[in-house]
Amino acid sequence: MRPFAVVSALCGLVLSSSSIVSAQSTAAPLPADFKPPQVFKNVNLVRNTNLEKGYARETINVVVENVDKDPQSEYYLSFPSEVFDRVGGLEVRNKKEAEKGRLDVEAVEIDSLSDVRYLIAHLPEPLAPSSQITLGISYSLLNSLHPRPAAIEQSDRQFLTYSFSAYVPSAYQTVTQKTKVKFPSTNVPNYTATNLKTGEDPERQGSTYTYGPYDTTKVAPGTTHPITVRYEFTKPLITASLLERDLEVSHWGGNLATEERYWLRNNGSTLLNHFSRVDWTVANYQQSPSSAIRELKYPLKPGSVDPYFIDDIGNVSTSRYRPSKGNREANLDFKPRYPIFGGWNYSFRLGWNNELASFLRRAVHGADSYVLKVPFLEGPKMAEGLQYEKVVVRVILPEGARNVQYETVEGPSSNGLPSADQFVAEFSSHKTFMDTLGRTTLTLTVESLTDEARDSHLVVTYDYTLFDALRKPVTITLGLFSVFAAIWVVGNIDVSIKKR
Amino acid sequence: MAESPVDVLLKGSSGQSTRGLLKVIILVTIAAAAVSSRLFSVIRFESIIHEFDPWFNFRATKYLVQNGFYDFWDWFDDRTWHPLGRVTGGTLYPGLMVTSGVIYHILRFLTIPVDIRNICVLLAPGFSGLTALAMYLLTNEMSSSPSAGLLAAAFMGITPGYISRSVAGSYDNEAIAIFLLVFTFFLWIKAVKIGSIMWGALTALFYGYMVSAWGGYVFITNLIPLHIFVLLCMGRYSSRLYISYTTWYALGTLASMQIPFVGFLPIRNSDHMSALGVFGLLQLVAFADFVRGFIPGKQFQRLLTASIILTAGLAFVGLVVLTMSGVIAPWSGRFYSLWDTGYAKIHIPIIASVSEHQPTAWPSFFFDLNFLIWLFPAGVYMCFRDLKDEHVFVIIYSVLASYFAGVMVRLMLTLTPIVCVAAALVLSYILDTYLKISSGPVTRGRSNEDASEGLRSARTPEVGITSYFSKAATTSSIIVYLLLFVAHCTWVTSNAYSSPSVVLASRMPDGSQFIIDDYREAYYWLRQNTPANAKIMSWWDYGYQIGGMADRPTLVDNNTWNNTHIATVGKAMSSREEVSYPILRQHDVDYVLVVFGGLLGYSGDDINKFLWMVRIAEGIWPDEVKERDFFTARGEYRVDDQATPTMRNSLMYKMSYHNYNKLFPTGQATDRVRGTKLPAESPQLSTLEEAFTSENWIIRIYKVKDLDNFGRDHSNAVAFDKGNKRKKATKKKGARLLRSE
Repeated sequence: MRPFAVVSALCGLVLSSSSIVSAQSTAAPLPADFKPPQVFKNVNLVRNTNLEKGYARETINVVVENVDKDPQSEYYLSFPSEVFDRVGGLEVRNKKEAEKGRLDVEAVEIDSLSDVRYLIAHLPEPLAPSSQITLGISYSLLNSLHPRPAAIEQSDRQFLTYSFSAYVPSAYQTVTQKTKVKFPSTNVPNYTATNLKTGEDPERQGSTYTYGPYDTTKVAPGTTHPITVRYEFTKPLITASLLERDLEVSHWGGNLATEERYWLRNNGSTLLNHFSRVDWTVANYQQSPSSAIRELKYPLKPGSVDPYFIDDIGNVSTSRYRPSKGNREANLDFKPRYPIFGGWNYSFRLGWNNELASFLRRAVHGADSYVLKVPFLEGPKMAEGLQYEKVVVRVILPEGARNVQYETVEGPSSNGLPSADQFVAEFSSHKTFMDTLGRTTLTLTVESLTDEARDSHLVVTYDYTLFDALRKPVTITLGLFSVFAAIWVVGNIDVSIKKR
Repeated sequence: MAESPVDVLLKGSSGQSTRGLLKVIILVTIAAAAVSSRLFSVIRFESIIHEFDPWFNFRATKYLVQNGFYDFWDWFDDRTWHPLGRVTGGTLYPGLMVTSGVIYHILRFLTIPVDIRNICVLLAPGFSGLTALAMYLLTNEMSSSPSAGLLAAAFMGITPGYISRSVAGSYDNEAIAIFLLVFTFFLWIKAVKIGSIMWGALTALFYGYMVSAWGGYVFITNLIPLHIFVLLCMGRYSSRLYISYTTWYALGTLASMQIPFVGFLPIRNSDHMSALGVFGLLQLVAFADFVRGFIPGKQFQRLLTASIILTAGLAFVGLVVLTMSGVIAPWSGRFYSLWDTGYAKIHIPIIASVSEHQPTAWPSFFFDLNFLIWLFPAGVYMCFRDLKDEHVFVIIYSVLASYFAGVMVRLMLTLTPIVCVAAALVLSYILDTYLKISSGPVTRGRSNEDASEGLRSARTPEVGITSYFSKAATTSSIIVYLLLFVAHCTWVTSNAYSSPSVVLASRMPDGSQFIIDDYREAYYWLRQNTPANAKIMSWWDYGYQIGGMADRPTLVDNNTWNNTHIATVGKAMSSREEVSYPILRQHDVDYVLVVFGGLLGYSGDDINKFLWMVRIAEGIWPDEVKERDFFTARGEYRVDDQATPTMRNSLMYKMSYHNYNKLFPTGQATDRVRGTKLPAESPQLSTLEEAFTSENWIIRIYKVKDLDNFGRDHSNAVAFDKGNKRKKATKKKGARLLRSE
């Protein structure tokens, strides 16, 4: 893996900031009983848990005060180790200066036996003693919703459970904290009630349940109080165990070809009995909600042409494509061959072409330098959301592209992507269509993403000269010429055994 | 030669090259037309493998491409014919797969990323272009008129009789075999004409390729010796024949024995004995010819007669003895069915059950060949007029292929090339005669070149057509016929031969295309949501498709090498559940797949094929399965209230109609294929449970239940559950009972 490089002068594109990866320290992992230095105090902490989608999205706003004598800049975030690998799109911002972008977050290597895993958020400037800063921490928890009962009848409604701790896991002492849980509907048949505070806990207000506020001055950091909620969720839990996304740039064709390969799974309740076509026909007729995936709505950018949607055995003829009119988005109604019930799988691939001009431009300062800005993740737009366990994005640049650098675009609000050190980047060469050298390929692998990252963008800069562009025509010409020459030579050899 | 005097370009050496260029352009255009007329299904549907057998070929090709040639050669496939497996590498004709594999690797070498599926889909159209070229070469050997070859190439390119087997996606052995057949015959004619070892060796080379590609190579194996034999009987022995035949036979037999599936058949099987016999005969004749140079006439006659009788008798006795003792295998069953059309129906129902093995109905000759079929006899007559060695070949080929095409529908394919040759000979003759603008008597150009062969019939008196009216009338009517032919071919190709049969198309009320994709829906469901080793039982028709699309092991498939195994499946389908369940358990069946067209009116479903299952099962278990029991007392095959108890208790009937009546108001359930009302009660299944049904109910998949937890039999368990009014269908693994045999 090459070190991540920052391109500072990208005058053609407006970038508010760019994420930087610091060289990872290769020190030995910390012991399992490691405790972060108690230099901070959480004065007030509010956690918003959103369960409206097929994954849990948590946003924590916390007022942090430095209780140490020296200025401090390393704020430790803690996660129970069983959820740590499923944390997706983690982002920490200074709420007061949100437009300045995210803070750098770095994972702490710790002994694998530890119950708690830590991340270090680097504050932009060290926090002076007894001064305060407000941090906004947001992330998604993948695969954290479990259907109960695990198997239901085909026409039954699906219920999910979500378990969390009433005390927000934190490395520091917290003075007051509360948790707001937002459900998709008011139908919450079971939830844990606590006596951690006087009065009713949780307080219910429509589909929002509030646990707390608790006075937790005397509660040691890391204390848990398990809470489980069970609520109705009639939509599927769409999970892509793998998404491979190829973006192929062709300068000659002026084309940006996109292909996406999905391995989908529905994590919802499985069928108690087997699938019944009669019941399914009736359910479709009545438009009743179902925990099966009927259709994936996939908006494509205006100007997307030549779409195809296939799986291992050919065209998915149940799907439809509605081309864009004018500047409107085109729509791909991708309907799998069969409804995907809980526990069922479906894999397929989609592809389409775009005009390259709307994604690529020359860098201002270098004549042979190009800047490519493409969506990092597109994917279906579903009300119930989508979670991606692993996303592999391949950007296939033209043959001979050099000096390739990349970064993700940061805006004033979260783009759903994790920090840069969570990306595994790899450069390779991809040979296709009579290449001689092979095309420079940038492969980015990210784990645990959600469809929050739909609108994120990736910027790739590279150098590409006229000579590189002419390489292929010249090679083909020479190749054909040598074939003709060889034929001419062979044709002139006389191998007959007749007497002359 | 139709030479118009007006054009300078058509005269002299520049005329030669102009005509050569024109020929090349015409041939390329013909090849392009041949390819493009086969692309209907790709344009209308998609690039998809068609029908049944091509799915196996496609799967084998993928295996070859992924694992390399040697693994392919040694391929033992444990995912078919469970639990027997199949020695696939040794029981197939590898030519087709190797051809695609070679093309694939060449393209990969040039780093052109082409999916192996697209190569397989487009292989047949590509080779049909080559067939047109080979046809040009072959016909050119028959006629001196340059237009004959071009006409034959054009006919071959678009005639439906060949298109039926070579549309895009029809990835079957015939896709390349017809090209090889025609090209081998061209090389053979060339070898006979020149008497050259090189051409004979080339013939053997392409014969070897043909053997590796298609079982129909036996046709060449018998036709070439017959050609030689007839020529010998006509007293036309020459060193040319000797050289070409012995070269071909020796090298070709060796080449054919390299294919494991053929192996020692060329010297041990009766189908190949004629080639060996003629080889021996030719040695005798050559020896006799040699001896004749030394011995005076009268003694020679006596010697010849005696020796021929002696050797022929010896050879015949030897053949009989060897056949009786089993060294030489007797004629194979498929071969017998060529002589006696009723043979298969009595002795091998599995061959008779295939629709393409039925005798040809006479309209299909016209359907597949259009006006070529009535030009065909005229062309054969034309061959009698010249009757050189190559024309004898055409005559023999015509007679044999006509007979075979009448016996079996699929052998129409072998008739098509020779019909094209014959028709082109006639048409070119007519056109050559009538198209000359110049008035006055015209010499037929070929007379001078052919005179050297000493054929008197070639020296015709100088004749010609002078009247412009008769010229115009004849040529315009020919042109009308030709145009009608093109229209007919296009129509037939588009309507009859371009359906993938995996995907069905129908029209919506507004005229837009509506695709019925139930097969792939169900196969993909199997592929994605069942364990990779789940055994699927279905009737053998769907075996290859399940292997190719669902990628799951099957019990029987279209290879049909084991009649007993197929009969076992037939018995399971046609028996009561209590009989079927042990069979299913013994064969580790996890899922049973049936095809049901009742909702959509899709007539190719399993209930319509059911009688063949019964017949094949009856062939092995005549005491347990009886065809008669499936007919009512009045001899009707019914599925409604009047159906016989055997029919209504059979597994196939139950699986087809299970829960079907729930789609309709009470008592209104209708089967749209059989056009009958069904019983109000749905059949009860106790040992199977419905796992998946496709959108239009064409495919229904049932899961075989595990043994009951409490040791009850399934019908009791189901009754108990019903009585309790509790749906407790979860019967997970428990203590297993001994199998109830």
